[in-house]
Amino acid sequence: MALRNDQGIVLRSYPFGEADRVVVLLSPSHGKIRAVAKGVRKTTSRFGGRLEPFTQVDLVLYEGRGLGIITQVSVIEAFPHLRGDLERLLAAGTMAEVIDAVTEEGEGSARAFLLLHRGLHALEAGPRHPDLMTAFLLKVADVVGVAPALDECAGCGTREGVTRFSFAAGGALCPRCRTPAAVALRAGLTAYLARLAAADLSDLPPPDPSFSGEAMGVTRRFLEYHLDRRLESLASADV
Amino acid sequence: MFEPPIQRLIDELARLPGIGRKSAQRLAFHLLTVEEEDARRLSRAILEMREQVRLCRRCFNVTDSDECSICRDLRRDATLVCVVERPQDIVVVERSREFRGRYHVLGGAVSPIEGIGPERLRFRELVERVRTEGITEVIIATNPSVEGDATALYLAKVLKPEGVKVTRLASGLPVGGDLDYADELTLGRALVGRQEM
Repeated sequence: MALRNDQGIVLRSYPFGEADRVVVLLSPSHGKIRAVAKGVRKTTSRFGGRLEPFTQVDLVLYEGRGLGIITQVSVIEAFPHLRGDLERLLAAGTMAEVIDAVTEEGEGSARAFLLLHRGLHALEAGPRHPDLMTAFLLKVADVVGVAPALDECAGCGTREGVTRFSFAAGGALCPRCRTPAAVALRAGLTAYLARLAAADLSDLPPPDPSFSGEAMGVTRRFLEYHLDRRLESLASADV
Repeated sequence: MFEPPIQRLIDELARLPGIGRKSAQRLAFHLLTVEEEDARRLSRAILEMREQVRLCRRCFNVTDSDECSICRDLRRDATLVCVVERPQDIVVVERSREFRGRYHVLGGAVSPIEGIGPERLRFRELVERVRTEGITEVIIATNPSVEGDATALYLAKVLKPEGVKVTRLASGLPVGGDLDYADELTLGRALVGRQEM
């Protein structure tokens, strides 16, 4: 039973009781936090828009038994521009969904927090780079420890002739290590993915339209395979 | 465990939203003490609502006939349509007494986080109405939340090519509120949507 200060990015929230919401936030030091914001659905709520998804906030939490209660909120960053553009809003939704899927309550997740923060920054800064989502998903795979091998064989580490790709085996494969399920990728695609995986989200290399769609498809399927779940928001993002 | 007839009612009541075991028990025992006719009236009201209420074929509001009373009302402006997420929202807009047009109920909101896309909502029906009913302005009255924003942006995208004026309810400071307590996002929107005096 104590008050504690924390900060976090709001991932999502859902209605709770008559006028409350349970807010799911990602804190760098405490991982995912679920806490009740009382009366937040009323137009007279003192929280106002501070607990909307994708807002980075400083909070004071009252922790009792069960769910904590949010008693104070102040905004660190509101990312207002990404809410005015459908493409960027959907991308932010996907980022929040993926980060929600890979983080746990009570487990510090500074890397996931920083990644989401950088992703939202990149979206807020201007029109969406066609490869931003692919680069983000590759970085998520790295944060959760399943980064695909891209410029070397996932089996033996050789850099020669890595032309096959296997979701189960963890990335690119050479002819000696190839498994029956490994698929052949277009020449240059793994190198393209490797460049995206290594780049800064706010400073991605110029996009190549002939690779962008395929790169996204492979990355999405790779992550869905390893997380063992479908990424719902990506389905609705195809506008 | 109570006698089966009482327990059955408690179990049914406890399935309602916001009603726990204890409240269900209190309601059941209350119903045991009221006049038999009162209990019958309650059960009749529940049954009649289920049997008679359906969706308006034009706007998808709840109604007990083919079209809802708002769509049937000839005094209302048929060129103005207010788009809301749920039938309950119509009552809220009606209470303002500022709107004299018709409505369109989407049946929810697009959710970029939960993957609810526009195909699950009544977007197509709205576009069809715009094409056939001589509508000149669509007022979007979705919630000022991420889901409401996404829905409004989608609507604007599909309706603009139809040549119809698309507007959205203003966001800003609540009447009677204190500027001190306004959050950055709301105040930012209030500034963007400021009006000349």
